[in-house]
Amino acid sequence: MRSKLGCTGVVIFFAVVTSAQYRDALPGYRYQFPRDHFNHPDFQTEWWYYTGNVKSAAGRRFGFELTFFRQVIDRRSPDTGPWDVRDLYLANLALSDLDGRTFLHAERTNRAGPGIAGANIAEDRIWNGNWEVRWQGAEQVLQATDERFALRLTMQSAKPPVIQGQNGVSQKGKSRGRASHYISLTRLDIKGAVQLAGTTFEVTGTAWMDHEFFTHQLDDYQVGWDWMSVQLQDNTELMLYHIRRKDGSIDPYSAGTFVDASGSSTHLRRDEFNLEPAGATWTSPDHAVYPIRWKISVPRLGIKLECSTLLPSQEVTSASGVLPAYWEGAIILAGTKGALSLGGVGYLEMTGYDRPMVALR
Amino acid sequence: MPILSIQGVSKDYLTDEQPVRALNNVSLEISRGEFVALVGRSGCGKSTLLSLAGAMDFPTSGTVQVNGVATASLQDDALARLRREKIGFVFQSFQLIHTLTVFENVELPLLLAGKRNARQTATERLAWVELDGFGLRYPHQLSGGQMQRVAIARALVQSPAVLLADEPTGNLDSTTGNVILGLLQRLTRQENTATIMATHNAEAAILADVLVRMRDGQITEVTRR
Amino acid sequence: MQRTILFYQLILRPLLREPVRTVLTILAIALGVAMVLAIDLAGTAAAGSFQSSVETLAGKNDLEVVTAGGVPENLVGSLEGLPYPLKIAPRIEDYAVVVETKQTLPLLGLDLVAEAGRGAGSIGLGDEADTWKYLTSKESIWLGESLGRKSGETITLLINDQTGTYTVRGIFPDLHGSAAAIVMDISAAQSALKRFGRIDRVLIQTPSYPGLEEWQQRIRTALPDGVQVRAAGAGTNENRRMLAAFRWNLRLLSYIALVVGAFLIYNTISVSVVRRRTEIGIVRALGASQSLVLAAFVGEAACLGVLGALVGMPLGRFLAGGAVQLMGATVEALYVTSRPGAIALTSTPTLLAFFLGVGVAVASAYSPAREASLVPPIEAMAHGRREYGTRVNKARDLWIALAVGLAAMAASFAPALVGKPLLGYFAILLLICASAFAMPALVDLVTGIASRLLKQVLGVEAVLASRSLSSSLRRTSVLVGALSTAIAMMTAVGIMVGSFRETVLLWMNDQLPADLYLRPAGSPAADRHPTIAVELTDKIARLPGVAAIDRLREYEISYEDMPAGLGSVELNILRSYHNADFLSGRKTNEVLTELRDSNGVLVSEPFANKHRVKAGDYITLSLGERRAAFPVVDVYYDYSSERGSVLIDRDLLLRYLPDPAVSNLAIYLAPTASVEEVRAEIENAVAGHQVLIFTNRDLRGEALRIFDRTFAITYALEAIAVLIAVMGIAGALLALVIDRRRELGLLRFLGAASGQIRKLILIEAGLIGMLANLAGVGLGFALSLILIYVINKQSFGWTIRFHWPVAMPLGALTMVYAATVLAGLYPARIAVRLNPVEVAHEE
Repeated sequence: MRSKLGCTGVVIFFAVVTSAQYRDALPGYRYQFPRDHFNHPDFQTEWWYYTGNVKSAAGRRFGFELTFFRQVIDRRSPDTGPWDVRDLYLANLALSDLDGRTFLHAERTNRAGPGIAGANIAEDRIWNGNWEVRWQGAEQVLQATDERFALRLTMQSAKPPVIQGQNGVSQKGKSRGRASHYISLTRLDIKGAVQLAGTTFEVTGTAWMDHEFFTHQLDDYQVGWDWMSVQLQDNTELMLYHIRRKDGSIDPYSAGTFVDASGSSTHLRRDEFNLEPAGATWTSPDHAVYPIRWKISVPRLGIKLECSTLLPSQEVTSASGVLPAYWEGAIILAGTKGALSLGGVGYLEMTGYDRPMVALR
Repeated sequence: MPILSIQGVSKDYLTDEQPVRALNNVSLEISRGEFVALVGRSGCGKSTLLSLAGAMDFPTSGTVQVNGVATASLQDDALARLRREKIGFVFQSFQLIHTLTVFENVELPLLLAGKRNARQTATERLAWVELDGFGLRYPHQLSGGQMQRVAIARALVQSPAVLLADEPTGNLDSTTGNVILGLLQRLTRQENTATIMATHNAEAAILADVLVRMRDGQITEVTRR
Repeated sequence: MQRTILFYQLILRPLLREPVRTVLTILAIALGVAMVLAIDLAGTAAAGSFQSSVETLAGKNDLEVVTAGGVPENLVGSLEGLPYPLKIAPRIEDYAVVVETKQTLPLLGLDLVAEAGRGAGSIGLGDEADTWKYLTSKESIWLGESLGRKSGETITLLINDQTGTYTVRGIFPDLHGSAAAIVMDISAAQSALKRFGRIDRVLIQTPSYPGLEEWQQRIRTALPDGVQVRAAGAGTNENRRMLAAFRWNLRLLSYIALVVGAFLIYNTISVSVVRRRTEIGIVRALGASQSLVLAAFVGEAACLGVLGALVGMPLGRFLAGGAVQLMGATVEALYVTSRPGAIALTSTPTLLAFFLGVGVAVASAYSPAREASLVPPIEAMAHGRREYGTRVNKARDLWIALAVGLAAMAASFAPALVGKPLLGYFAILLLICASAFAMPALVDLVTGIASRLLKQVLGVEAVLASRSLSSSLRRTSVLVGALSTAIAMMTAVGIMVGSFRETVLLWMNDQLPADLYLRPAGSPAADRHPTIAVELTDKIARLPGVAAIDRLREYEISYEDMPAGLGSVELNILRSYHNADFLSGRKTNEVLTELRDSNGVLVSEPFANKHRVKAGDYITLSLGERRAAFPVVDVYYDYSSERGSVLIDRDLLLRYLPDPAVSNLAIYLAPTASVEEVRAEIENAVAGHQVLIFTNRDLRGEALRIFDRTFAITYALEAIAVLIAVMGIAGALLALVIDRRRELGLLRFLGAASGQIRKLILIEAGLIGMLANLAGVGLGFALSLILIYVINKQSFGWTIRFHWPVAMPLGALTMVYAATVLAGLYPARIAVRLNPVEVAHEE
């Protein structure tokens, strides 16, 4: 479960959308690849989420984030030209220069238009303007250009796709359909280049991809979430999230997944892991207070970790000012698994700290 | 009956907001055929008297009658008619129009009056002043005396009852001046006009039938011979 | 100090003593300065404003992608995908008419989704929540605040041939005083305009590194041949360039007012000098140097000039308001859609007008001032006055006039310099000079004749008047020169416009052969071509009374960085009905056959002149995504637009630009059909579409109406020049009266009634008017030849056939004559009031 913030904001205003005509995410969905890596227009909302930690040969560390969102706007008129807005495509791009201690991000909103944005198996790519991920056989090439920086990364998945949740759905609420179809590539090996301020850094590292599609997901009382992806040195991965409720409690539908070195995954229920703020906070210019140290434990797997960040200021704010701000950034992890001490990298997302998230419905 | 009758006339001018009395209770009657010399110092009121007599200006009080008609009672058109039919003017500096020929200068009052046969009359008048054959010349081709004779011819072209001359010899040497005086006297007789001449010329005083002396806006002496 | 006192006593006091004349002179300069400033300001406002609302709404952009017929929309995707940090903004640009107010406004289709995503503030689309909510609705529009509408109101717009109701979803501020535009989402705009597949422009913002040219280069490689990437606003610059000749000519016309003013200053100062000869002599005798006297009189002119310029500047700002309307109409009809912007009273034109005014005043005063400085001290003692202007040497001046006239003739044969008919204008100036030199002889001759002829008719006053004029020959010549210059320009422009009008009338006979014409109700202009749905044209073609229809389509293109029109016609139809006139003189049928066989184009005469193209050349056009070379088969006469047009067969053009919509329809009736019946049938068939149907006669009337509107500004300029001249005459007559008070007084002594004095002055005014008319018409005829055959041809590339218009000049001349006589009324009144007794006391 990832930040659908761009979408969320838009959806606030596109409340007119009737969802009756769209499919709900229901148990028993049969996944098919590579088809399911691309778009699912029957579902109201869909996103692709690439985050990763890379390092140059000289040791300079970067985090990056490239996300693509698709949100249905209007499918009612049948004969449409390319400029008619059926779906809205939003995208976020961020680069965390962890050693340079700067955080750069950009956003864009587009319609599909005549080839402006989309996620298309026919073209083997997911794109929004010149931010794109193109599938080339087993490799994915991520390219994104901003005025200040650019990414060109070739990613190869070390493991098969993980279907999150149970029985093909990641359930987020009580009622039927309050769920998403949720695919992750938990370990993408990266080779590529980061351009920043006129310098090109050849980098290597690991990325994580989430792809999720659904029609309904959160309920009214769910106001925000804390989500984390962790790639550990022992070639295992962990994904955990809390959904926070209005009353301050943690929603029972919070969950997680553990992926072992062979690529097989284990679903973690709310009561099978702990995720707690560990004191340190960072206050944004707009006075949102984010916990930036977390304690993680998965007793069942003997995992105890502490999560921290090299760069506390990885808050994404929307230039248009419409969308809520959220924190999404590269993290490093240190701890133990059983008797072994273990480190790792990952990404942390915290939403609903500046104001309550209005959830996707 | 006098052709020109001035009764109790005073004339004030406004100079720098100050009224100046140019004539003070002046009375004078002139009949046709009289050759009048008006003498006195500069500024004694001679010219003012001539202006009033010529219906070019009007008294502040008293009456000026020309041919029995009070000038002050007349409208512009009637005044213009009066001037061109009854009055002729001769000036110290001749006042010929330089762009017109001698003929045209002499004819001018007739033409202004809309009269025909002006050339014939003009030729005749030029003969009176002994300038036959000068008709086609321009004023700048004439001597001073000739110019004044043209001016006299012009003044007489309408056979006026009153001929007013303001220093007619003032711009001429004495010989020429005397010729002009003689001419004026002769024509006064010939045409039976009442001629009033403001002058410094002693000869003029001798030739005059009536000598009028003025001082400070008043007539001090009237001598009829 | 001593100089100041001298200046006051010698110069200022006399000026103050004659307030009316001083005011008239100042006003004459003021009007001249005002005119120059007004035309300059109005030109900037009218020309500087096309698409300004369009430009400002776009924000800062560096490059734009354009092509004739529109950029294929899939290029937007390609551009967006380029791996460069560019901001890409596709847009549709057209016009809509607000039905209620008949106002034509730019209609912009923007990618509101992308704009809003960049932050709704960047495009100023108002409240973000509303923006998002209504963004993509086809009925949503956003309006500039100057339209005074409110969010939520509905508004009916006429777009092409259809009206529709739209809801105002937001108000954005009008930037930089530009008039408002209508903004829609690009998809809504496509639907409203029924233009799919192509968009009008893609605006691109580039990073500053590595430079605009490099970016242009990189982007060009991503585009097909025919599609052009150029500096943003290049279109505006093209328009400016295109308008340059128009503005330039108008500006020079406005200088005529100053030339007339120069004559009048010359006269005023001359009068001053002559009147004050004695005073000058005294001052000189008391030790003033020559240069001091010179400075005093030049100073007098400078005083008048400065005062005039100071009065003229606010007046010019005021007049600019009117001029902008007139110029706007011309620009719209002949060149490009223009939205007169706010008139900005900027320093450069203001200072220019100021210094021109003062400069002209000083320069024209120099010669009389010099004459004053040469007055010998002995004049103080001299008796009598010298007649003004006795030293005019008529014969010598006549020879000079002849020489200058010959030089003018030579100059008129010279080709354009730097694209401007500089030598043509120089020839005009020389001719005005020549006529000024010839004036004394003319005045002498005419007054000589007049004094003899008029004596019979008007009496002795006429003799006096004409003698007086001929005696003060120089003064009269200058006055007549001033008025005749104004009249000459008026006559010349009148003849030129009249000839032009007649030429257009003849041309229309050939050009408009159809019985009925149909165009969409959306307002067209030189660069604005609303379209009719193609189904509609098919429906009309099938009507029983219709023998044939010619589907005309017009596009806006750019050729060699200049805007031009591209029109397509149906050759088959044209061949059977048309009888066009070609530069080669060949038969229509022959030319059109060659046109079809060679897949060539025809170009209009202004196009041929502008781009130096002749029959047999090839021109390369960007059409859609392709570039193609076409042979020029012939050049046709065209007076519909100055911008230049290319004509191509419809079938050929459809191969490049497949949009079948039609801009105009020419309808030929079956031999037996009646115009009224067919018109009714058509009206029936087009129900639901907003189209205008013109009969052949209506259309000609409409064309002439536009034509006449176009030249309104020229007439206004001439009228003001004449007004200045007439004012000058009033002032000069006043001076004349005062100088001749001795003579006028004498006439009273000799029995002249006041009516006769008035008559005398009025006859003088009338004689000046007549002389000026005579000289003005003669000079005007010569000038009109230069205007028609040199200046027009070199500036605009039109062949105009000479034609004597009768009514206009006759009417104008009568009016000028009446005005001149009227100008004598006030001086005549002063003359009547003069105290004649002064004459007797003079010595």
